Amino acid sequence: MSGLPVDATRRVKALALTAGAAVVGVADAAAFDAHAPAPHRPADLLPGARTVVVVGGAQPRAGDWVAASPWLLSTMGTTERIQGVGRRVAQVIESELGYYALFVPPGTASGDAPFLSLMLAAELAGLGARSLAGPVLNREHGFMYWSAVITTAPLEVDPPETAPACPAPPCREMWERDGTTPCLRVCPADAGGCLGGRIDGGRAVRTTYDAARCATRVHTHWVGGFQKVLEEALSEPDRERRKMLLYGDFMTRTLWAITYSSTNVAQCFECLRVCPAAHGLREMR
Amino acid sequence: MTFFRLDPEVYARHKDEVLRLSNSFQTIERRGLSDREIAERLGLDERTVTEIRVVAERDCYPLDEWERAIEFKRKACADWAALALKRPELRSP
Repeated sequence: MSGLPVDATRRVKALALTAGAAVVGVADAAAFDAHAPAPHRPADLLPGARTVVVVGGAQPRAGDWVAASPWLLSTMGTTERIQGVGRRVAQVIESELGYYALFVPPGTASGDAPFLSLMLAAELAGLGARSLAGPVLNREHGFMYWSAVITTAPLEVDPPETAPACPAPPCREMWERDGTTPCLRVCPADAGGCLGGRIDGGRAVRTTYDAARCATRVHTHWVGGFQKVLEEALSEPDRERRKMLLYGDFMTRTLWAITYSSTNVAQCFECLRVCPAAHGLREMR
Repeated sequence: MTFFRLDPEVYARHKDEVLRLSNSFQTIERRGLSDREIAERLGLDERTVTEIRVVAERDCYPLDEWERAIEFKRKACADWAALALKRPELRSP
């Protein structure tokens, strides 16, 4: 094992949990090759990569899910909490184990495309499975935020999850009864939404995903919205009408969101809000 | 070296094909191709494909779709709060 202490994987995982992760797993870096094109594979980012440590956590709370304003959950989407755990894991792998460790940047490699799919990393690390709505859901915790560290350390790899959280039993029943599920009903691709799919033999099969439309919802007051209004404003010859666009609520909210970037990135949760596997619906007082 | 500007004619010619091959509209039967893979298939250079994809992703829907997004979320969120909290008066009108 190239001088790696026998308890290295256990130590890294214990550190991640102590630092605030709800779950932690390890994926084989080579396993990405079958699913992701270059340059979105671990070894494209860190030559010699052997494994990928994935941490998950920072889930919204029950109160966030039932908030009556959609804007509340977007400001609760604090992905940076789990990113801090990822950075800590990377630091420990280098300082205590002596192997290269690359914290996967949460930003984009080009346009809206990430450096590495964190959802694929979570799946390959055995922490969850892709849902009909899209996000990877963990069986115990449901929807979570993810962070990943690519490393040259040959840590022990976890097997993929064999029993996915999606479809949840109520969704299977709804499919049998109504031919749809909560997520497909709230955001159907064939009626102005983003999602298409079915339940086939008890398993969720996603058939369609309109990422461009999803971007208008997940990033309403964000980079795309800013560009669209700016384009409209630049094309508007009348100064007063231009002012209405640039000083209006949409542009103002967008600039607030962008300047509070790390806490207001995800802005649409409606397919997961209705998902029994994403957060359940615990009785609260 | 000059700033890279995508030729609008090149964009118009390849926009639909690049979007179809990329990950922007996902279907179950195939994974989206990377910019490099699309470039090889269409006989373009990778930088041009990246620019076409990025512009096209933003160009897919008009500004009105952003307004629809706001209304969609407002309604879906209110309806869920009404159901989950058993407070029918919270439903959107």
